[in-house]
Amino acid sequence: MTISSDVATFDLKQALAPNRLQGLWKMMTGFRLIYVMATLSLGIAAISKTATYLLLRYFIDKVLGTNAPLSKLILVGLGFVGLALLESGFTFLSGWLAAKTAEGTALRMRNYLYDHIQRLSFSYHDKIQTGELIQRATSDVEAVRRFFADQAIGLGRIVVLFIVNFIAIAKLNWSLAWRSVLVVPVLVIISYFFFGKVSKRYQAYQEQEARLSTTLQENLSGVRVVKAFARQDFERQKFEEDNWEKFLRGRHLLFMHSLYWPSSDILAGAQMLGGFVLGAIMAIRGEITVGTYMAYSGMVIWIIWPMRNLGRLIVQMSTGLVSYNRVAEIVKEEREALDVGDYQPQGPYRGEIVFDHVSFAYEEGQPVLDDISFHCLPGQSVALLGSTGSGKTSLVNLLPRFYDYTAGSITLDGVELKRYPRQYLRSQIGIVEQEPFLFSRTIRENIAYGVGRRISDEEVFAAARAAAIHDVILSFPDGYNTLVGERGVTLSGGQKQRIAIARALLRDPRILILDDATSSVDPETEGDIRAALRRLMAGRTTFIIAHRIQSVMNADQILVMDKGRIIQRGDHASLMAEAGPYRRIYEMQARIEEELADELESSVD
Amino acid sequence: MTDPIEFNEEEFTTQFNGRTFMRILAQAKPHWRTVVAFLIAIALVSFLDSYFTFLSKRMIDEGIVARNQAALLRIATQYGALILLQSGAVFGFIYAAGVLGERVQYDVRKKLFNHLQDLSFAYFDRTPIGWIMSRLTSDVERLGWLVSWGLLDMVWGLANILSAIYFMTIINWRMALIVFMALPILLMVAVQFKKRILVQFRLVRKLNSKITGSYNENITGVRVVKALGREPQNLNEFIDLSDDRYQAGYRAAMLSALFLPVVQLISALAIGSIVVAGGLQARYGGITVGGIQAFISYVTFMMWPIQDIARVYAETQHAIASGERVFSLMDAVPEVHDRPQAASVDSIRGDIIFEHVDFYYEENKPVLQDFSLHVREGETIALVGPTGGGKSTIINLLCRFYEPCKGVIRIAGRDYTQLSLHSIHSRLGIVLQSPHLFSGTIRENIRYGRLDASDADVEAAARLTGAHEFIIHLQHGYDEEVGEGGVLLSVGQKQLVSLARAVLADPDIFIMDEATSSVDTITEALIQQGMERMMRDRTSFVVAHRLSTIKRADRIIVIEDGRIKEMGSHAELIRQKGHYYRLYTRQFRRERTQTLDLLGETTAAPV
Repeated sequence: MTISSDVATFDLKQALAPNRLQGLWKMMTGFRLIYVMATLSLGIAAISKTATYLLLRYFIDKVLGTNAPLSKLILVGLGFVGLALLESGFTFLSGWLAAKTAEGTALRMRNYLYDHIQRLSFSYHDKIQTGELIQRATSDVEAVRRFFADQAIGLGRIVVLFIVNFIAIAKLNWSLAWRSVLVVPVLVIISYFFFGKVSKRYQAYQEQEARLSTTLQENLSGVRVVKAFARQDFERQKFEEDNWEKFLRGRHLLFMHSLYWPSSDILAGAQMLGGFVLGAIMAIRGEITVGTYMAYSGMVIWIIWPMRNLGRLIVQMSTGLVSYNRVAEIVKEEREALDVGDYQPQGPYRGEIVFDHVSFAYEEGQPVLDDISFHCLPGQSVALLGSTGSGKTSLVNLLPRFYDYTAGSITLDGVELKRYPRQYLRSQIGIVEQEPFLFSRTIRENIAYGVGRRISDEEVFAAARAAAIHDVILSFPDGYNTLVGERGVTLSGGQKQRIAIARALLRDPRILILDDATSSVDPETEGDIRAALRRLMAGRTTFIIAHRIQSVMNADQILVMDKGRIIQRGDHASLMAEAGPYRRIYEMQARIEEELADELESSVD
Repeated sequence: MTDPIEFNEEEFTTQFNGRTFMRILAQAKPHWRTVVAFLIAIALVSFLDSYFTFLSKRMIDEGIVARNQAALLRIATQYGALILLQSGAVFGFIYAAGVLGERVQYDVRKKLFNHLQDLSFAYFDRTPIGWIMSRLTSDVERLGWLVSWGLLDMVWGLANILSAIYFMTIINWRMALIVFMALPILLMVAVQFKKRILVQFRLVRKLNSKITGSYNENITGVRVVKALGREPQNLNEFIDLSDDRYQAGYRAAMLSALFLPVVQLISALAIGSIVVAGGLQARYGGITVGGIQAFISYVTFMMWPIQDIARVYAETQHAIASGERVFSLMDAVPEVHDRPQAASVDSIRGDIIFEHVDFYYEENKPVLQDFSLHVREGETIALVGPTGGGKSTIINLLCRFYEPCKGVIRIAGRDYTQLSLHSIHSRLGIVLQSPHLFSGTIRENIRYGRLDASDADVEAAARLTGAHEFIIHLQHGYDEEVGEGGVLLSVGQKQLVSLARAVLADPDIFIMDEATSSVDTITEALIQQGMERMMRDRTSFVVAHRLSTIKRADRIIVIEDGRIKEMGSHAELIRQKGHYYRLYTRQFRRERTQTLDLLGETTAAPV
């Protein structure tokens, strides 16, 4: 089954409503008719079922014992089969349509949320927790799905069964009818309170289960400590306590169940038996026929027994409503526009960048960048030197418009940066980080990730060779098809970095950002990485973020940053010529070498 | 990499494994009285359900049709009394079966956990934690279900069908034959449905976890996704996955929606036949009105026991698969274990000797080869060298987390396999690179080193290692919670706590795996100071990264490719100008650059 495209692409923002039930109704857009039909089918199924009992009445009163011809008997028998066909057909139909609605809306929510989340701004992702987002996109969507699939329709079923059968009984005999439902309100109230209580105990039970899992998890991940201190018995004791507590809470929960079900049995059973006796006496007195009595005794079951589950559904539905809210909160957030911008250049840009009195703050009143101005020609390299928190990364984050500057102006090839669509900007900026994030896919897929065109194996190999990672990859069991991460190989920081370099080579960006990519890699491969980076930088405007002189010495322009400001600028030679922080750092590094020499000498003495 | 164990969550046996089934049932053996009790209770409930229909028949025949109100009331009274009896039985079986299920879960979990404590490192190295966790959670749950609710539903269903058959035969055996014909068809259809539904539901679960994984990766990697402009492709890939999920969920729902109607329809055919047959029989007085009513009721409600039996049948197969996995864990044999006549000793002070030790985790991939080393009592050994060179393996062997594949390790003059594991482990003090703390308070974590230590002892140990200072500045001091795995503390603080823990144990051998990541200067100094105290008069092994630690050692061993490349004091090795020399100079530059905090001093006026 597929869903038509305008239903599938329905913007969930239109499904936001202050009232949660109204919101859920809007969430069903495109499926409402189907859902209404599901409810109607329920009604038809219920009526068919009730009609079966009326046919039974006819059979008992008018056919049985009247020496009716065989053909009439067969006709009645076929009547039963026919009604059953009707009932089961519509029961299926309602189940099918409800499933279509539930699965369809859930599918739409999942797809929408996935896209929505990856298009929310950096600032949003900075403040939200991953686990929280995932929870909402999975468990809460699932809760909404169940709301449509089981709960709302289940509630409808109970209500429809009650109405149809009550009307039928009332038509047969009114005084029997109202006496048959005396206990129903009591049953509903009791079940509502019971399931409210049970859900609390169930929660306590699940909390304990989570605690037990934590204890287990900690024991398993701390197995070295446990063994090293020979604390097995202590651990057993600890687990025993949590394990026993879970048992106790389970028993506590079960006790509630073992009280509710028999007592509601007694209540419902007494009501039924009362009805039977009443009906039977009426039948004996000739007020109703035997057939009527039998129809009644069949129908009354469908009024009373389902009521015992009503409370459960109501309690469960309230969790569906809460989940709707949690999903709606994400949907409310504004996306970052990727293709909005009034300047649409043809072909790649040259990469001339001018910062003119640029300031930026994540939060108002707390500037992270303050009055930054510099000019960078196409193909030049700019090095940003500074300590952690000096604003280096914030500065380069402005280029792909991860964040927008709050004052001043940045121009790219003479055009204001904010006029470029984000997508266009990002397609021509390559970033290599110190410890790049890789996806749990194959190495080949990671290299080709985000290149945005079909890439031949030869191209991938060539890029990997240029990044000095080809041979390493071939040494893995599955070569380029080796999975990265938990289910495959664990790569070292330097290896990850070189994969990111290979990716950047394939993407062939005009602007390159090397975020601390030259420090703190395995010493064995430092040379390889440097060479790979040099190849990558050739002919591109490059920003180098570093906190070591060696990494920035060869840059065309060096900006020394502190507390969001540029405190010194120039190339290596000019900076060395003036007294200032740059020379001081350089001298200090030289001093370390002297110290080392002294140290080595004294060791040998 | 080939795993000896199949880590496939969804794998399950299609054929019925009787031995595993019996072994699962055997888990309930200690509580057999409860089992008998709830089985009797459920059989009674089930029988009464059928009997109530029979009573209804009598109410019609003997009361209404015979126009005998006294008889009616007599039967109704009996009916009412039996409802009370049945409620009592319902209470009994819910409580007994439920508690039994929980109890068996508790028992099996306990057995598994206790067994896990005895398993060796090798087992944990090749078995993902997640796999073990699932055995102790979802699989155990399924075992508990089988011996309680599974058994119960099966007995209920069977008793219900059997007693219905009994009453139908009493009422009219010819008509009962019609029902007998429908029964096997119903059962077969139901079982086939339930099997397929279950398969779809498993598929849904599997796809759900894939979807969660997909969300997880896209959210944690969102910066890269944005930087590379991968949003459209990612969405397309996700849509493929969520379409699969939709299809699976849809099929599961379709099958479920189809199941009851189909069963209903088959029953309806039986009812139709009964009506015809009943009508014919009634002419000769072969059946009463009440009898027809009873037949219709029996057939109408027959679908519930049938659906229960089918469900239990389908789920039992999965429970058996769970059982197989659980028992594979229960039957795992620890590689490192006490020898029959292992000696318990109070102290393992003395020289430590590695004699021609070979070791590998996987055959044909040697990690240590012909490794020999003699460490004198009280000596401090620094192990240095590249990652994967074999440093951690030496520590693992020394601690007897693993045993040599060839060669001997002697502690205090004895082959250490002649000692009990407990005597060795209880005399070790270990501080790991990324220290593992347990959730609980700081005090509890330090006390882990010696369980009977008083608060004063704990504090003394913390003072000795310099942890006391930071602890008393926490809001709750020693009673501060450290969070799951110690997340609420910094790496340096965790190291201090685990150092204090080792101090409290007052071990004969001290082992430290230094952290590679940098900690702040003050904490670093405290750690160094604590280490020095520990190493002063006990045999110590340090996997060292800090220069100060390395220089303090009596002997430095450079390990590479499973062999000793260089060995000697700092001065000796510097003089050799080999591996150690290069390692040392590189580390010197790195550490000095960090401590000088070059950029922290750049506070000159802006240009």
